[in-house]
Amino acid sequence: MEHEQHLKLLRATALGDKQAFSQLYQATCAQLYAVSFKMLKNKALSEEALQEAYVRIWHNASEYQLGKGTVLTWMISIVRYRTLDLIRYQSVRNEHALEQDADDIATLNVSAFEHSDTTPLKMEECMDELDSEQKQAIHFAYFNGLSHQEVSASMGSPLGSIKSWIRRGLQSLQRCLSI
Amino acid sequence: MNYLIEERRNALAAEYVLGTLRGGARRRYQQLMMQHQLIRETTWVWEQYINVLGHRLEPKPPADTVWQVISDRLGFEDTIHTRDKERGKLQPFPGTKLWQSVAGLATAAALVLAVLLLRYQPLDKAPAQYAVVQTQQAQALWLIEVDEKQIKVKATDKLAQQANNDYELWFVAADGRAPVSLGLLPQTGEKSLNKSDLFDTTELAALAVSLEPLGGSPNGAPTTVLYTTELISL
Repeated sequence: MEHEQHLKLLRATALGDKQAFSQLYQATCAQLYAVSFKMLKNKALSEEALQEAYVRIWHNASEYQLGKGTVLTWMISIVRYRTLDLIRYQSVRNEHALEQDADDIATLNVSAFEHSDTTPLKMEECMDELDSEQKQAIHFAYFNGLSHQEVSASMGSPLGSIKSWIRRGLQSLQRCLSI
Repeated sequence: MNYLIEERRNALAAEYVLGTLRGGARRRYQQLMMQHQLIRETTWVWEQYINVLGHRLEPKPPADTVWQVISDRLGFEDTIHTRDKERGKLQPFPGTKLWQSVAGLATAAALVLAVLLLRYQPLDKAPAQYAVVQTQQAQALWLIEVDEKQIKVKATDKLAQQANNDYELWFVAADGRAPVSLGLLPQTGEKSLNKSDLFDTTELAALAVSLEPLGGSPNGAPTTVLYTTELISL
């Protein structure tokens, strides 16, 4: 239902419907902001990433295709790339906050997957099949936007091990997801 | 190297989407995406799986001002028009000969404002110098803090946001050399800029703010200088 509602609003947005775009923003901004803030740990920069993302969504709404995942997943892709750009250009992360994230990652909102789209559930199942190190390294990279070196520092493991865990973890996901 | 081989294509796409493909490798991958439909499609597949992880975070509502900025930038509201009218009241800076004299307009009022704005913000270490960029009507637009490593800039709500332009900050040296760009200024919120070595090696006559096309000065020199200010040690 959520995806259908978003898709309806996005289609109207692609036709220049400002009201629909406003509704799409209201329906999705908290999720996109959570993604950006988790990575940046900085309110002003997270808001900047969010603004950039929605400006792009407005201009590129007609480029969405179902092959890019649900509307929300597609929008998360956009805000995440913008956030990664900001991370590259800014030194914004708080190391103390990163340490706290090790615990936070274990308590993510699994109930968010309780809807009809099977892609998130399949992804969850496949993530659960990974070795704990692989899963943790991928989580650190994804949720905090960390480089291999930064994941290495956060997990206290050698860089070579981190690269290997991430590479093998992604290969396992590929097999499990039949990509 | 053949990037279209399935195993390599998937490995690169997955690391690109995850964000662990960095630097030159990331830029090369973006070029490959532009050149090859197959690589674009592989990237989309990984996006639709990897980015469902983002659904797992607890939603966090942003400030209401975010939507206002977005709608301003997209021209949804009439606020830009109104603000542009206000912009018309400002006198563009006439030329480089007057850098230092105009910088003197950063008055004691600006200094007081800087102290008032900053005294309630906890700082890890003693800040070095401050400046307030203000209009001729003494409306503060940006608060600038230059510490040992970086330049922190905070935009105020008095700033007229520009959808089709950027504001750029310049180091104007006392020795008469051409102004040196310090980076683009935020139109909302805060931003950190890299601190130029010039701060440690060259006497500063003034900081200047120019209005530029999106992305900054096209030729390395300020296009339309709007404001100048002095850097003050507290």
